[in-house]
Amino acid sequence: MKNLLKICLLWLLITSCSKLPDNLPSSYVFGGGVYILNEGNFRAGNGSLSFYSYDSSKIYNDLFFKKNSRPLGDIPNSMIINSDRAYIVVNNSGKIEVIDRSTLESKATITRLISPRNMKVINDSKAYVTSIYSDSVAIINLYSNTISGYINLRRSSESIVVSGNNAYISNWVGGKEIMVVNTLLDVVVDSVEVGIEPESMVLDNNRILWVLCNGGWTRQNFAELVAIDTYTNHVYKKIVFPTKEASPSCLQIDGSGQTLFYLDNGVKKMDISSGILPSTTLIPQSGNYFYKIGINPLNADVFITDAVDYVQQGYLLIYKNDGTFMSKNKADIIPGSMCFNLRIDSHTK
Amino acid sequence: MKYTLIYIAFFLSLPLNGQDTFRSDTIKIPEVLIQRGNFNSDHSGYKKNSLDSSVIKNYSHSTISDLLSDNSNVYIKSYGMGGTATPSFRGTGANHTQIEWNGVNINNPMLGQSDLSILPVGLVDDVQIISGGASMSLNSGGIGGIINLESKPEWNKGTIIQINPGIGSFGQYSGLIKVKCGNNSFQTITKAFLQSSENDFRYLNNDIGAEPVWETRKNSQVIQKGFLQEFYYKRNRNITSARIWYESADRNLPESMLTQQVNSGEKQFDESLRMLLNFDINKGKINYFFSGALLFDKLNYVNRLASIDSRNLAETMSVKAGFEDRVSENITFKTIINEDVNVIHSNNYDQNTTRNTLSVTASSQQKVSDRIETSLLLREILDRNKLLIPDFSTGLQVRISEEKEYFLKANISRNSKIPTLNDMFWNPGGNPLLKNEYAYIYEITYEMNLKISSPAILKYDLTVFHNNIRDMILWHPGEFSYWTADNIQNMNSTGMESSLTLDYIRNNLTARINAGYSFTRSINEGTNTESDNSAGKQLMYIPENQAKASIRIAFKKIYSFWLVNFTGDRYITADNSKFLPGYLINNLTIGIKYPMRASSIDINLGIDNIFNVNYQSIAYYPLPGRFFNMKILIQLVK
Repeated sequence: MKNLLKICLLWLLITSCSKLPDNLPSSYVFGGGVYILNEGNFRAGNGSLSFYSYDSSKIYNDLFFKKNSRPLGDIPNSMIINSDRAYIVVNNSGKIEVIDRSTLESKATITRLISPRNMKVINDSKAYVTSIYSDSVAIINLYSNTISGYINLRRSSESIVVSGNNAYISNWVGGKEIMVVNTLLDVVVDSVEVGIEPESMVLDNNRILWVLCNGGWTRQNFAELVAIDTYTNHVYKKIVFPTKEASPSCLQIDGSGQTLFYLDNGVKKMDISSGILPSTTLIPQSGNYFYKIGINPLNADVFITDAVDYVQQGYLLIYKNDGTFMSKNKADIIPGSMCFNLRIDSHTK
Repeated sequence: MKYTLIYIAFFLSLPLNGQDTFRSDTIKIPEVLIQRGNFNSDHSGYKKNSLDSSVIKNYSHSTISDLLSDNSNVYIKSYGMGGTATPSFRGTGANHTQIEWNGVNINNPMLGQSDLSILPVGLVDDVQIISGGASMSLNSGGIGGIINLESKPEWNKGTIIQINPGIGSFGQYSGLIKVKCGNNSFQTITKAFLQSSENDFRYLNNDIGAEPVWETRKNSQVIQKGFLQEFYYKRNRNITSARIWYESADRNLPESMLTQQVNSGEKQFDESLRMLLNFDINKGKINYFFSGALLFDKLNYVNRLASIDSRNLAETMSVKAGFEDRVSENITFKTIINEDVNVIHSNNYDQNTTRNTLSVTASSQQKVSDRIETSLLLREILDRNKLLIPDFSTGLQVRISEEKEYFLKANISRNSKIPTLNDMFWNPGGNPLLKNEYAYIYEITYEMNLKISSPAILKYDLTVFHNNIRDMILWHPGEFSYWTADNIQNMNSTGMESSLTLDYIRNNLTARINAGYSFTRSINEGTNTESDNSAGKQLMYIPENQAKASIRIAFKKIYSFWLVNFTGDRYITADNSKFLPGYLINNLTIGIKYPMRASSIDINLGIDNIFNVNYQSIAYYPLPGRFFNMKILIQLVK
């Protein structure tokens, strides 16, 4: 009976208040900041685009829908900026949304991709798109926004980094290799064996490719951090994580190409010259659920997404590069990867 | 008096001849079978609903999902034509609803739920909708309720053959054949069903590009087969029955509207074989009953693109035995022992897995005075060698007026739901240490049957309910990068249901108006984490408001059935920030029936979604606009 009363009161409470107005400004202002892709739930089609502005220190949610009056799609996975265009790779929708970088207005949709994951611009006319469920990397014609061809890797692909005339493409799910593709010829020219499941990669200022291998979800192998010299395509350093339980992810590098960041039960920070893994945690999880990180290329501020329980709106947490907490901002469902929008027109990942 | 009441209640729950608006459609039944009452006798203080047999006949080529979504206040969440459809009673989840076949749970024990889109209506004779605590007299685990599909004999001489082909929009072809023969002591009934559908309907996709685009649904084909054989043998007042039911559904699963990638080759194949044996022995004041069932459920899922090849086979043995003793004129006592054994072979489990669940139920019913009746049920469950906290249900029924049929019914129950096998053993993430979920269920019903004037009869009921569900199992992100199951959610649902039926019969005209409304607030109590914004919010995909209305009119040889279904807004995010708008759908069936001596031919034409409404049950899974179907029923009687 007490419960019934409580329910009635709760009910009155809920039905009597109208929906609170969004305390976030509804109009998005273009400027320096970071785009956040909210993945949404698998098959629910509730992926969305948010933007955190440095100028106002505020987050703006659901921007794609607000501008284009339609949902972004199912599991937006990654975003890149190339001159005045931004490209959003929507994994489970099999498409890339091409939008105007400043107004966010849809300019084109590249369709019929198989489970696309990450995109890398090779030159003015073409880009590569990796795929988790097909054996090929798709080549995109950036003038016509269509698929112009495929590079068959004979394995699935995830992360992609370009150094010189080579594109390094990781074979994440069930794999242990980095495929090397000549970007002038669009053919596989080499491969480098690394640890189990190379998940993320970055290039440092010495053109060393750092590959984070998470060891696979079954926890039967050790995770590894592998460094590959992109001049020779040889492994020149390999650091093994201490326990099989460690499952690091989301390797990032600062703007100077000198400091690595990754997630491993909190945010870890490591200098590229270090021969061992960091013993301390820069930013501990402390009750949050860190999902992805991004490093501001200009000042190395650490941006972390917190997916909460994966079904409700998550958060964007911002820390200084020394680990000092700055702010917590409400994003959308499963906030994931980030793309920094710098004032200068350089393109960033 | 007491028996009169019980029998009135019993008859009301059976859509026998008397309930049928179309007397000439139905075969006359000279004798009533008491058999199914054994596991399912009505308890005082509870509301039960059976769907009208003429409605069931109208849906003979449809699925249980379509039947319930149009004609009950059970909310059906559907991925669209051919796609999975799951029920929700009173704001509870799909695995809080149990689907039973003649009192045997046929939910897939791995999933703890049934896909209503592959259960054809044509093979069953009666569909009972039993909400909340009332379901406990049938089985445990139906916190939301139980949908009981019945097949039953008609004890009369002669042979009846029904040939029932159908054709519909989007490449739908279907056929149903029934053959019944026998006499007053033996009956055999054979039913076979076949349906194939392309489901290639056109829909307007507003969500894919700058401009809306007309698209055709792809990869949505379904082929369904079903066969049911029943044997009944009656001697004195003892009945033996044997039933065997085979069904299969071979489906391609379509993508969300937001997906523009090449066909993923997603497929599902479901196959079930169900065998059921019943003995009912009547010895004076005591009825003994026994039932044994063997169930095999295969579910294979393939996603070529994602390299998933999931193969699952669940084998279930279910044995029930008990007796019902009419101790005195005013007291009935019943005991049932139920033993369920599940054996799972799945490439998603570490190893073959077995579960054994035993339950003992004792219940009694007492007539206190001419107008007051009470009932009590106690149940103890032994699951995986562990005794659960006992469940109970108690009901009170008061006849308000001596002259008129006005009733007040109230009941309080505690019902347990054991975890599904996937919750415990799915690799990765299954948690073998899960506790059972349980719920306290409170319900008050006002019911009246009123004869307005000689040809018009009014039935009305209003129910207010409240459920507290505790230790709800939720899959959540675990310590590693995969999800895991835990008892971490509590939820409360409160609401009301109301329905009205008005029958009018005069000369050649019969009419029935049915109207129902339900209001449900289903509130998540949250998981006590700091950032949780879902606490205090309506659960996703539970509409607050639902209303249904239908009118059926038959005049001489012509009949028609108009149905209106309103479903309100449904939230699609846990924090209630987004919702799917409500919809109002109209369906119409018009038919004509020519009798030819004892035989007959019946042709009907149906139009679904007359006003071509664009709507969705699950976000970004389109449903068809206006579509048509035609059925012919040839009935030969010898």
